Amino acid sequence: MKRILCCMLLIVLTVPLLTSCMGLRQINELAMVAAVGLDLGEKPGTVRLSAQIIRPADARGQTGAPSGGTGEPIYSISTEGSSIFDAIRNMGQISSRRVYWAHNFLIVMSEQYARKGIDDMVDFFTRNHELRMNTWVAVTSDKPDEVISTVTGLEVVPGEAVDRLFRDHRIAGRAPGTNMMSLEESYLSDSTEPVIARVSLQPRGVSNKKPGEHGSIKQVELKGAAAFKHGQMVGWLTADDARGVLFFLERLDKGIEVISCPDSDTNMITLEFNGAKLKVMPAYAQGRPKFDVHLTAKADIVENGCSQSTSQLRKDADEGLDQELTQTLEGVIDKAQHKYRTDFLKMGDVFRNKYPAEWKKLKKDWDEAFAEAEITVQVETTVKSGVVKATREGIK
Amino acid sequence: MKIQISNGMFIAMILNIMYAKAIGVTQGVLARTVGQDMWLATLLGTIEGIVMMYLTYLVIRRTPDKDYIQLGQLLLGRWFSSLVALVIFAFFIVAFGPVMITFVYHLRDYFLPDAPLWIFVVTSLIVGTIGCYYGLEVMGRIAVIGLLFMFALNVLITIGSMQEFDIRNLLPIMESGAPKTAKASIHYLSDCAMATMMATLVLPVVKKVDQGHGRFGVFGIMGSGMMIIIWAILEGAVLSSEVTSQYTLSCMKLARNAHMGNFLQRYEMIMIALYSLPALFEVMFCIYGTSVCMSRIFGIKSNRPMIIPCCIMLGVFGYWIIKDHFRALDFLENYWPFIALPVAIGLPLVMILLRKMLGYKLQKKSA
Repeated sequence: MKRILCCMLLIVLTVPLLTSCMGLRQINELAMVAAVGLDLGEKPGTVRLSAQIIRPADARGQTGAPSGGTGEPIYSISTEGSSIFDAIRNMGQISSRRVYWAHNFLIVMSEQYARKGIDDMVDFFTRNHELRMNTWVAVTSDKPDEVISTVTGLEVVPGEAVDRLFRDHRIAGRAPGTNMMSLEESYLSDSTEPVIARVSLQPRGVSNKKPGEHGSIKQVELKGAAAFKHGQMVGWLTADDARGVLFFLERLDKGIEVISCPDSDTNMITLEFNGAKLKVMPAYAQGRPKFDVHLTAKADIVENGCSQSTSQLRKDADEGLDQELTQTLEGVIDKAQHKYRTDFLKMGDVFRNKYPAEWKKLKKDWDEAFAEAEITVQVETTVKSGVVKATREGIK
Repeated sequence: MKIQISNGMFIAMILNIMYAKAIGVTQGVLARTVGQDMWLATLLGTIEGIVMMYLTYLVIRRTPDKDYIQLGQLLLGRWFSSLVALVIFAFFIVAFGPVMITFVYHLRDYFLPDAPLWIFVVTSLIVGTIGCYYGLEVMGRIAVIGLLFMFALNVLITIGSMQEFDIRNLLPIMESGAPKTAKASIHYLSDCAMATMMATLVLPVVKKVDQGHGRFGVFGIMGSGMMIIIWAILEGAVLSSEVTSQYTLSCMKLARNAHMGNFLQRYEMIMIALYSLPALFEVMFCIYGTSVCMSRIFGIKSNRPMIIPCCIMLGVFGYWIIKDHFRALDFLENYWPFIALPVAIGLPLVMILLRKMLGYKLQKKSA
């Protein structure tokens, strides 16, 4: 009897050790997705889902065809379904391996899909526990399946290349770095709207074999953004607008601006600003919100094509940079307020934080209140140095 | 020989019994109720919890060697001690619902979605049974290790979340208003109720509890408040209250978002390993609490024979609760605080009142 009891106890204690065998997935049985494309399906009301899957045999550090491989580091497939989940399930009919999402770098939506609404996309990708929350999200005016299957950049896996583009997006400062984390936050917020980076295919690559055919290879470009209102895309923002967005949303502190020389429209001077700080000061008067946007920055002359001496240029460069940055900020504010009437600049957030009682009154019609709000922009920049060069005058 | 646990163990036990549920499940409920003021509700709940814990201590102040059940016997006899034991027994049976919600949903929803529910219930009960079988001292030691794990977990989550920390997400303060925030704090207070009900059974075995003047329990609640409020602030500032409110386990959402630079991502498995010990301690103490109460009701000296029957009861109730997510959430938000708080506040108040009225009995017996 004692032996039987001991055996039973042993079995009971062993069972929990087998939990990892339940629903197990071996790594060589998985199809690891590196990028996802979302588009409207051919049939109305359906979703077309494309996946860029890493081909392990060919993605081992270098391009080319290792023995036994095909030379293609990725395998791209697409399916349609009534919902995203349905489309993913249908992928099981094509893929020889079980699709695994945990290493996904990127989600690209088509413009048509984004304009229809991203509610189900946000819900699906945040509800699924496998997915990383720092997966990048982008909108494209090209075909998403084409974008995700284009080999781009130096990386073997294109999804990884786009991941690196996004990681360093602040260097170029021409598109916001939107990931699932920031998208979910702005999507659910009452006081702000989402803005998502734009990617597009551009003929920028030069073939080493045929250098004469400049721009024969398409590359993924991260530039611009898409503005949203109540979960639907309402329009595009240019690269300059996106730079403006970065000041508001990501506290952009560095960047370059090119301005024309005071004495010539053809010659240019390039300024690198740093230590930029944007402050939005809300006010409330006569039932209407008001905002003062104040940007301060220091700048260095990093390229000078003007004929004047640097010391002479300093004042003009100051003014030119002020003007350029003012235009950038005013441009994006104008688009948010008047063209799209959607507050993706987090002005509502700032107002709500300072005037919570007034926010409660305006919350319902914030789009209107924001569109009619008076916003003044003030930029103060100081050109501090010519980097390693003293002046352009040389020996007097 | 009478078992005794150190003050440090007692404080660690309080932290362990509150932590697992309060950092995620409770914060999600608070975010749904008061938005970004959830950290304020946690703070208020901590202050209320301190009062509640002191109240619990006041009952045994003059008889530090007696727990509530033994004190009940001294005051009104056997029938009353059985009634007190029954109330505490019922409390821990019901408390097993939120404990299971916390433990099972963390593991199942995020790591083992294909594993059947009973595996989690049975496994946790087996571990809990072993701890309970060896008694309070072993449980106290486990709690001390659990405390170290909690520190490590807090450090990991803080480092992993700082990159996304945006203090503006915590503004405006008191947007929901003081009454609503105070009302929401009862959800956190129901976590403190677990600690105070634990104290009703454990206080007499804490070393020099009479010399502490209730300090140890108060320190425990304060310590828990400090450990938990970090999560409330991080969830509000990193995720935003809108995002936090969407999830049953908001701490897992925060853990999923956490990353250290570009190379260390998705380390929630490490965090969940650290988290499991406090969660298992909760299970352990529910078994201990129910088995002690059962043994007193039936007049058995040791609680060990009652461990298995209690495990069966806890297991059945826990399984029923977690089987349906919607029922679990409904129970958590609409029933649990209104069951836990009347017991955790009412029982000490009744005992204090009886002490005032029947204090002469105790003096006579001690003389």
